[in-house]
Amino acid sequence: MEALHNLAFGFEHALTLNNLMFCAIGCTVGTLVGLLPGLGPLATISLLLPLTYSIPTGGALIMLAGIYYGAQYGDSVSAITMKIPHASSIVACIDGYQMTLNGKTGLALFTAGVSSFIGGTIAIVVLTFLAPSLGEVAFLFGPADYCALMLVGFVCVSFVTTGSLLNGLAMCLIGVLLGQIGTDVNSGTQRFTMDLDFLADGVGLVSVALGCFGIAEITKNLDNREERTPFNGKINLIPTWPEFKRIIPSALRGGAIGSFLGILPGGGPVIAQFAAYAIDKRFSKYKHEIGSGAIEGVAGQAAADEAAARTSFIPLMSIGIPENAVMALMLAAFIIKGVQPGPNMIANHPDLFWGLVASMWVGNVFLIILNVPLVRYWLSVFKIPYNVLFPSILFFCCIGTFSVNNSLNDIFTTAAFGFVGYMFLRLDLDAAPLMLGFILGPMLEENFRRALLIGRGNFGAFFTRPISGTLLALIGILVLWQLTAFFLKSRATSRAAALPG
Amino acid sequence: MNDRNLVRGLFLIAISLAFGLQSLRYPIGSFSHAGAGLFPLMVSSLLLLIGLITAVRSRFMERVPLNLNLKNIALILASLCAFAVVSATLNMMAGIVCMVFCAALAGTSYSVPRNLKVSAGLIAVALAFQKLLGLNLPLY
Repeated sequence: MEALHNLAFGFEHALTLNNLMFCAIGCTVGTLVGLLPGLGPLATISLLLPLTYSIPTGGALIMLAGIYYGAQYGDSVSAITMKIPHASSIVACIDGYQMTLNGKTGLALFTAGVSSFIGGTIAIVVLTFLAPSLGEVAFLFGPADYCALMLVGFVCVSFVTTGSLLNGLAMCLIGVLLGQIGTDVNSGTQRFTMDLDFLADGVGLVSVALGCFGIAEITKNLDNREERTPFNGKINLIPTWPEFKRIIPSALRGGAIGSFLGILPGGGPVIAQFAAYAIDKRFSKYKHEIGSGAIEGVAGQAAADEAAARTSFIPLMSIGIPENAVMALMLAAFIIKGVQPGPNMIANHPDLFWGLVASMWVGNVFLIILNVPLVRYWLSVFKIPYNVLFPSILFFCCIGTFSVNNSLNDIFTTAAFGFVGYMFLRLDLDAAPLMLGFILGPMLEENFRRALLIGRGNFGAFFTRPISGTLLALIGILVLWQLTAFFLKSRATSRAAALPG
Repeated sequence: MNDRNLVRGLFLIAISLAFGLQSLRYPIGSFSHAGAGLFPLMVSSLLLLIGLITAVRSRFMERVPLNLNLKNIALILASLCAFAVVSATLNMMAGIVCMVFCAALAGTSYSVPRNLKVSAGLIAVALAFQKLLGLNLPLY
């Protein structure tokens, strides 16, 4: 009961007129900036952080949280409508963009919004009841366990890719290799930088994402001589009841997966999207449609992403450890405001902690209220003729790349990845696993080397530790399952071919 | 050579060799004290294996023609590079104009007035970014 009492206390703080206003402003501005290609939550928060300097602490944190969620939703809008993702919306490019091609953009955006709401709600229930104790879960994970967890993420790829398992793994490995570019954290050696100074910090995520998705997609559309038909039809925003019913189970599954994976430091939201998508692809009633524009393909991943984004606040607020770059920025914002996140935060600033928890939910409601009517305007993108639209998208890609480091050199990197992305596209290689490998690769290497260092070069730690052992066993089962399914299928087809007629 | 599956295999092999051979130049170390080259070497060997399997398998599969249209991708990349080069030497407004005029060559139709209008619109957006959001753009 105490948890409910705390939550009510939080809502009391979140629901003041001022804080509601800050939350609404944050959501709207966040969505608008997040919509622009290349500006993900990280860039959006760092751009808008100065806006919060003059606002009282509670309101500022609530506004930042609003910006964060708004930017995430904006990202999924650009992924669904233009196939330009950021880390939080890679999976939305697969089925979401397919739905756009099928003329169901409105439904896809609505699904993403509602599923985020459902996922967020689940995560808040988890946060409210378990936050104080859950933070310690992260302490249970050693380097070997993180390695195993990331390998699970890679195996999820085999379920995600639309092509073959081999292609998915290959792209994943290429992603890991691309993540190696830059300075080696352990020894300081510059690797694969071709003696270019601006590569010493590695290749930017934005450059890879814009090149492999955005620019490759633009060129593909140009190759097809595609005059995208102006969008005249009536946009059906509110789904029919059967459609709505399809959203709920996927969103619930995604929310549960996301809530759990979000707690774990390192790549939680990214793995969560892929995991939720993979699970839907296996267990959904409509699994045969996933990949060609199914509601489930959008709902599960959106819910998981949102839930993981929420629960990733748990390690920050309960043990004071930011688990990714966005959380590190939030930590900075907390400290600027004179609040030190950590074990004492719940005790010392209960109004801030519970207010933030409550405001997350309020932010979600705002996103739905603001965005569902605004989707109509997002869709007006399609009324612009493609000959005007594509130079504009290129412009936003340039600005997005430039603004990360204020470096024009990064634009050359983006162009190089545009070419690589185009080759991938033409060779029928899916770029989504590449992003997973790229994001997780450096963490995988770090933990792999650390685990071997602790085990003095012995691989035993990977199998004897309970967590990593279980995860590796899970991988074994998944791979075996996949192989058996493959052989059964190929036998069935060869038998069918052998039959006369 | 006009076989997508074979080219895919060769492409993967090329990437794995590019990274793998380079990583041999870094200290490899041992498993207990991994050097900078160990992990990339492991990953690129695995990739090499997948590339070889793909290339060999393509011999037993039906050929799929590879459609490459290098003109459009070349134009798009040229427009991005033009933007970066002109922004660095002159200023970003000129960069935007260059980019729009260069990229538009890849479109289905070419019209100078339309390019001018698009450039003007984008410059206005860039100004708004600079003034309202405080982005640090070297516009002029």
